[in-house]
Amino acid sequence: MIAGTPALELRDISVHYGYARALDRVTFTVAPGEVVALLGDNGAGKSTLLKVMSGVHRPSSGTVLVHGEEHEFRSPRDAAGAGIQMVYQDLALVDSFDIAANLALGREKLLKGPLGWFGFLDRAAIRRESQAELDALAVRTAPVTRPVEMLSGGQRQVVAIARAAARLPEHGILLLDEPTAALGHEQAELVEALIRSLADRGTSIVLVTHNLPLAFAVCDRTVVLNRGHKVADVPTAEHDKDLVVSWITGASVQEGLEIPRAGDPPAA
Amino acid sequence: MTVTGSIHQVSPGKKLPTNVRGLLFVRDQGLLVLWLAIIVIFAFWGAPHFFTVPTGVSILNSASIAAIYAAGVGVGVMTGVLDLSVPATAAFSGVVTALLLKEGAPVAVAILAGLIAGVAIGVINGLIVIRGFNGLIVTIAMLTSLSGVSLLLANNTNISQLTELRFLGTQTYLGIPAPVYIAVVLYAALTIFLRMTRNGMRLLAVGGNAEAARRVGIPVDRYRVAGFAISGFCAAVGGIVTAAYITTAVPGPSIGIVFSAMTAVALAGIPFSGGRGSLPRVALGAVVIATMSAGLLLAKVSSNWSAIITGALLIGGLALNMWTTNMTSKLLLSGQDVPDKKVTR
Repeated sequence: MIAGTPALELRDISVHYGYARALDRVTFTVAPGEVVALLGDNGAGKSTLLKVMSGVHRPSSGTVLVHGEEHEFRSPRDAAGAGIQMVYQDLALVDSFDIAANLALGREKLLKGPLGWFGFLDRAAIRRESQAELDALAVRTAPVTRPVEMLSGGQRQVVAIARAAARLPEHGILLLDEPTAALGHEQAELVEALIRSLADRGTSIVLVTHNLPLAFAVCDRTVVLNRGHKVADVPTAEHDKDLVVSWITGASVQEGLEIPRAGDPPAA
Repeated sequence: MTVTGSIHQVSPGKKLPTNVRGLLFVRDQGLLVLWLAIIVIFAFWGAPHFFTVPTGVSILNSASIAAIYAAGVGVGVMTGVLDLSVPATAAFSGVVTALLLKEGAPVAVAILAGLIAGVAIGVINGLIVIRGFNGLIVTIAMLTSLSGVSLLLANNTNISQLTELRFLGTQTYLGIPAPVYIAVVLYAALTIFLRMTRNGMRLLAVGGNAEAARRVGIPVDRYRVAGFAISGFCAAVGGIVTAAYITTAVPGPSIGIVFSAMTAVALAGIPFSGGRGSLPRVALGAVVIATMSAGLLLAKVSSNWSAIITGALLIGGLALNMWTTNMTSKLLLSGQDVPDKKVTR
């Protein structure tokens, strides 16, 4: 990995549905350990961009590079193989299972020896590993034997994020879709702490959210989409909220940012 | 940055609050308490014949066969599948085994063929359902058509005098009839499979939240078919054991089987939404129903009242279960804060 190479780079991504352009030549990068907010009103193209990143949707044109290497994702599994994990708004946790089982699902540890050949689970090892994974994220939560249906919304979000994070390689990329949508203020802070903790470990994070305070609190950079175009791409610290809101509503566009027009040649 | 994560952060050593643990006890042991209550009631009401060994053995017998079917339906429900074709699969397996016996095949071969037939029906059900068809409708369709197949194969008559199967039916070992042993072994195997193996866990995950399983890369369709296969296998065991018990293979389906099975599953508190449940409790549910039936019979209650009481029992069991689940959630999510726990960064 060359220093300075973005962890994830989307170059000139366009997504067409017939004549409608969900995304129009959007360029988007995330550096290792960077947290980038992806903002925009409904219909701006945020979900579509996330889908391209996570391998759910193939772009009509443009390239996706992960740590400098070009990739073509034909399915979410390809994206996962490249080190990208996504946490959807519906979380998709198994309610009757406890935290440990949800974290281990799909990578369950088996007992050593003949019992293991028959597929017998090593429950103690699963519990230990899940606890270790949560400890590594520096978040104190319910005991790993607690069924997730008994957890609060914030704790469930933490489990869903931890599940994705545990499957990331070093310098992986985590995509979060509205992680604090249904959460109160205190619970959102839990999630915020977890995001920062992950970024400190070198994970790149793309955060789609309507929650502007969260975006300003935790993100290094802010990217705004409007009607399929990128209208702003700025370090968070340098710009005020009102300006960002005007970018979101489309009232204005970042100074100096060129919006590609139909017929323009692709960027170099 | 210090974050006070006060919402429901319980330190690792702390147990659930007492009132919640009490509720969970009611939910978990309620059925056992109910059963004991029924026994006590009928010991007096159905005296002098109820509280006797012959009645006990008879209850065990009918409970075992019902429990075998209930295992199939129960595992199906837990893995996200409601298999209504069980009566037809049971009859079909019974007919297959009986026909082979009549042709002179060795007993082991005939039984094996019957079991494989049951699994095959389950797999066919599964393969159709994963194409996107509604599981309920598919299994009902299978119930109808498979019944026709069984009747065709058996030439519209019962196949009787299956004395070779007696060792599985009325034969007692140490005073206990064979079906009881079969039911116990089946339950032990399935419970261990679901609780302790990786495939069992994944099967439950698919039943509980197929999307969650899909997200972590589990091949959901494969497990759905497996759920149907297990249901078909249990139906086959039930059909063969029933044929053994009455030494006759009846090609027509006994639809009542599946409703008793569902009642036992519901009494055991297994939600039909899938993903969770205790199989041993399903067995207890079957025992409760059998005890109730025997008791009402011996107390000379008319069958109409019997039906009403059983239905009321079912609703009562469901209601108790819903109440304890809701109360548990409410108690855990309110006023259980531990305000001094901090997440330090």
